[in-house]
Amino acid sequence: MVNKKDIRILAFESSCDETSASVVKNGREIESLIVATQIKSHQRFGGVVPEVASRHHIEVITQITNEALKEAHVAWKDIDAIAVTYGPGLVGALLIGVSAAKAASMATGIPLIGVDHIMGHIMAAQLKEEIAYPALALQVSGGHTEIVLLKDPTHLEIVGDTRDDAAGEAYDKIGRVLGVNYPAGKTIDEWAQKGKDTFEFPRAMIKEDDYDFSFSGLKSAFINTYHHAEQIHQNLNKYDLAASFQAAVIDVLATKTIRAIKQYAPKTFIMGGGVAANHGLRERMNHEIANLPRNLQPKVILPELKLCGDNAAMIGAAAYNLYQEGKFADLTLDADPSLELPYASEMLQ
Amino acid sequence: MKILSMSTATNNLSVALNDDSKIIAEKNEYDARNHSSHLDPLIDQILKEHNLKLAEIDRFAVAIGPGSYTGLRIGVTTVKMFASILHKDVVGISTLQALAASCAEEGTLIVAGIDARNDNYFAGAYINKENDWGPECVIPDGHYHIDTLLSAVAEYCADNNLENVIYVGSGFEKQEETIKKTNISFSFGTEKQNVVHAGLIGKLALNAQPDDPDQLLPNYLRRTQAEIDWHNKTGEAYKPDSNYVEEV
Ligand SMILES: [Zn+2]
Repeated sequence: MVNKKDIRILAFESSCDETSASVVKNGREIESLIVATQIKSHQRFGGVVPEVASRHHIEVITQITNEALKEAHVAWKDIDAIAVTYGPGLVGALLIGVSAAKAASMATGIPLIGVDHIMGHIMAAQLKEEIAYPALALQVSGGHTEIVLLKDPTHLEIVGDTRDDAAGEAYDKIGRVLGVNYPAGKTIDEWAQKGKDTFEFPRAMIKEDDYDFSFSGLKSAFINTYHHAEQIHQNLNKYDLAASFQAAVIDVLATKTIRAIKQYAPKTFIMGGGVAANHGLRERMNHEIANLPRNLQPKVILPELKLCGDNAAMIGAAAYNLYQEGKFADLTLDADPSLELPYASEMLQ
Repeated sequence: MKILSMSTATNNLSVALNDDSKIIAEKNEYDARNHSSHLDPLIDQILKEHNLKLAEIDRFAVAIGPGSYTGLRIGVTTVKMFASILHKDVVGISTLQALAASCAEEGTLIVAGIDARNDNYFAGAYINKENDWGPECVIPDGHYHIDTLLSAVAEYCADNNLENVIYVGSGFEKQEETIKKTNISFSFGTEKQNVVHAGLIGKLALNAQPDDPDQLLPNYLRRTQAEIDWHNKTGEAYKPDSNYVEEV
């Protein structure tokens, strides 16, 4: 490898409630990462309000772009591609990033790359370590719970997903019942460390031999238990409640993921998404994988905590792989709020 | 001065090139359903047809609002980025002033409006005076119920001895019976006048004061329903948006 030119990508992410821009070198090295979060705003409403999110994104889009370039000590002429999340997500929110990236591409003549948000979350791992393929990813966030097979850096297939609520969504919903501010995941995780699994909530679909999930039954069981206790003026230990809920979520995620690792024998195991920051889940997966027979143990890459949430660096990482494959977008690129990774053929049967 | 202007405020997508006060070219997609996909290719096309590069444009102008919230953000984000990257001027022009600018009548009150459903309008009133920069606003752009709008119109006409009103924009025809009750002679804009033309935005932008691209934001004329409900429920005051967004 002589004189291989560095590839620098300026990436945008605005699919939900963070506006982010980042400069990433060679898909591996973060040269700058700016994240403007709107959490304070949406806490007023107990969850993300799409129109409010869109309004906040446009307030900061030019500033964060300039900051990302400045922090990386680069100018537009140093950028090889402009990348942007074009879905899935909130359409109005996505459109700020997409419009900004396209305008930047037009103004500079730099090529454009559209990135799937989920592919981005999974590629946050690439910012930590090189991924050996095939790889298997557990993608868990407020909007998604999926087991994804990575055949190579750009060919990702869903082998299992949730039939109803996403895991992160369940956290937020039970958080609301417990009076925890949105987003609830971090607090529930902390409480869970202090409690015991005493309630034995249901582990839905844990025995079924596919890789699908369901969390709405668990959520309902939790809420019923809580409200029943309230009616009879019984005080439940919130730490035990959190621990029991979290144990049920993690049991199902870990069991199904380990089964998928046994079937697909990936060289790397990756976690991605906001719930990948959950300490309970990280420990459990590390532990389960360490207990596998040696020849079945993949390399484990858990992204840095600050890269589990939405950020543009992960989009820059994924975009680098698409750049290598010459997968560019044109000026007609549009936001696709329900964009999905393709399903593996066995899922479609 | 070369001005590139656009409107994504309504379902008419419009892009124009102006040279000083002259409209060189204007492209419109009536009843367009996808501004996000079509805006940049349309800009690209108009520039190519006139052998211009984006970097040769001196000033970018956009319909700043009111209009479709999502639509406005597509246009405003685009010009913000153009101006910020190319270090050029950017100007936001009232969508309603641009609508009013399609009416040349003098001594007539021009009521420009966009249907906001349930008898509500994003509207303002303008009047052509002897100047070369466009119609002057006399009833401020706002979100009005039709009854409130019409009483403001009647009051202004009485105070200023105006006997003719023209209603331009969208959704006024269905109010014909209500408008008749004002007892002021009126007419509706023509099909051409009722859509927002980027060429007129370019004309209005020529003499407008440029904005800072970082500060340029759509003029929605309405808070979100979630904020209104929160305010009514908690009694808390609205704070500046910047209080709610923080870099982490
Ligand atoms: Zn995400």
